[in-house]
Amino acid sequence: MQTFIATFFSHFGAIRFNKQLKEAGIQGKLMPVPRRVSSSCGTCVRFEAESDTAFHSEDLEQLFRLEGEELTMICSNR
Amino acid sequence: MKEKRNLLIGGGLVGVIAVVLVMLGNPKNMGFCIACFIRDIAGGVGMHGAAIVQYVRPEIIGLVCGAFLMALIKKDFAPRGGSSPLTRFVLGFGVMVGALIFLGCPLRMALRIAGGDLNAVVALVGFVVGILIGVVFLKKGFSLGRSYRQGKLEGFAITGINVALLVVLVAFPTLLLFSESGPGSMRAPIWAALAAGLIVGAIAQRTRLCMVGGIRDVILFKDWTLICGFIAIIVIAAIGNIATGNFHLGFTRGLNEAGEIIAQPVAHTEHLWNFLGMTVVGLGSVLLGGCPLRQLILAGEGNTDSAVAVLGMFVGAAFCHNFKLASSGAGTTPNGRIACILMLVVMLVIAVYNTKKSKA
Repeated sequence: MQTFIATFFSHFGAIRFNKQLKEAGIQGKLMPVPRRVSSSCGTCVRFEAESDTAFHSEDLEQLFRLEGEELTMICSNR
Repeated sequence: MKEKRNLLIGGGLVGVIAVVLVMLGNPKNMGFCIACFIRDIAGGVGMHGAAIVQYVRPEIIGLVCGAFLMALIKKDFAPRGGSSPLTRFVLGFGVMVGALIFLGCPLRMALRIAGGDLNAVVALVGFVVGILIGVVFLKKGFSLGRSYRQGKLEGFAITGINVALLVVLVAFPTLLLFSESGPGSMRAPIWAALAAGLIVGAIAQRTRLCMVGGIRDVILFKDWTLICGFIAIIVIAAIGNIATGNFHLGFTRGLNEAGEIIAQPVAHTEHLWNFLGMTVVGLGSVLLGGCPLRQLILAGEGNTDSAVAVLGMFVGAAFCHNFKLASSGAGTTPNGRIACILMLVVMLVIAVYNTKKSKA
């Protein structure tokens, strides 16, 4: 299992993504974007999954993998 | 934890700087007020004719430039825009109307509470109600759409405008209007005000200090991180005000020797309108994604949508005085009361129209 943090262009995007996760049987958590992830102050989704390949959303801004304290950017739609 | 600590320190510093600016000449409980200062700038460049509130405030210039420089150094400068800019202009306009009904932005509301002004506590309740309404729409799927990457010059434009204003203020002041009495005439020295703006702009960029975001996050996520900054500002500014003799608890400051009521500085006691004015500000700010201070900071970071919201506030301020919407120490105006309700309705229409429940 790996931990991911996904940021979005809008709060709505985060809600919708979290719902998609739920439908896929994955427990996501809506939370404020951590400062070290971005200087924006929107909503992100933190979730655990086997891989990052199955998740796509038009509102997805950036996707990070979290290993301990280390953040690795996996993709960016900026 | 580190984020909370930084917000506590950053908020505390903002509180100290606000108290110092008052000592250096700014109006009382107005070390900083984003709404009042943008309004003063609108007057300073002749967009409105209210002679007592005309001055190109270096604090605003400093805030935008400070955020820009910090974002540049820390590689946070990211030009982006295109998320319903004109809707944001209207929301910025409405936020300014609400703020000038109450007589202060959320930051000044915090500073007024720190000065013992209980009218600002009434406003805080209205502000929270506005945020609650906004959060209901956020949860239902409100969105102004995504933003897109923009060119570097586009992202720099609002900072460039502020630099140009500074050049005019310093080198060609005769082009501008300067209040000779009233709040606009009360000002800290230019360089002190500019330095204060630069420092607070940099702090706010690093910490994401936001008066609205803190309360929003508590309601949405039970997350108390962002609100730490808001609380630190109030606590530290209150201590500073007590130390400098500027703390007066009450809706007014009591009676003078002639038996006349002494009002709180640049404030009125119409509770309903203090409440509703800040409800408009709270709702509009949640829809915009941040309070007026945050809009300035995001604009400095290259967010052109926030820059458009700032321009909406600027034009809104001019309208407020040209159409007699703005309150004064004497209270609200009939036009202002109508405009306040109108702005609440406009914001609700924007919120409903942009809520996409069916797709959520």
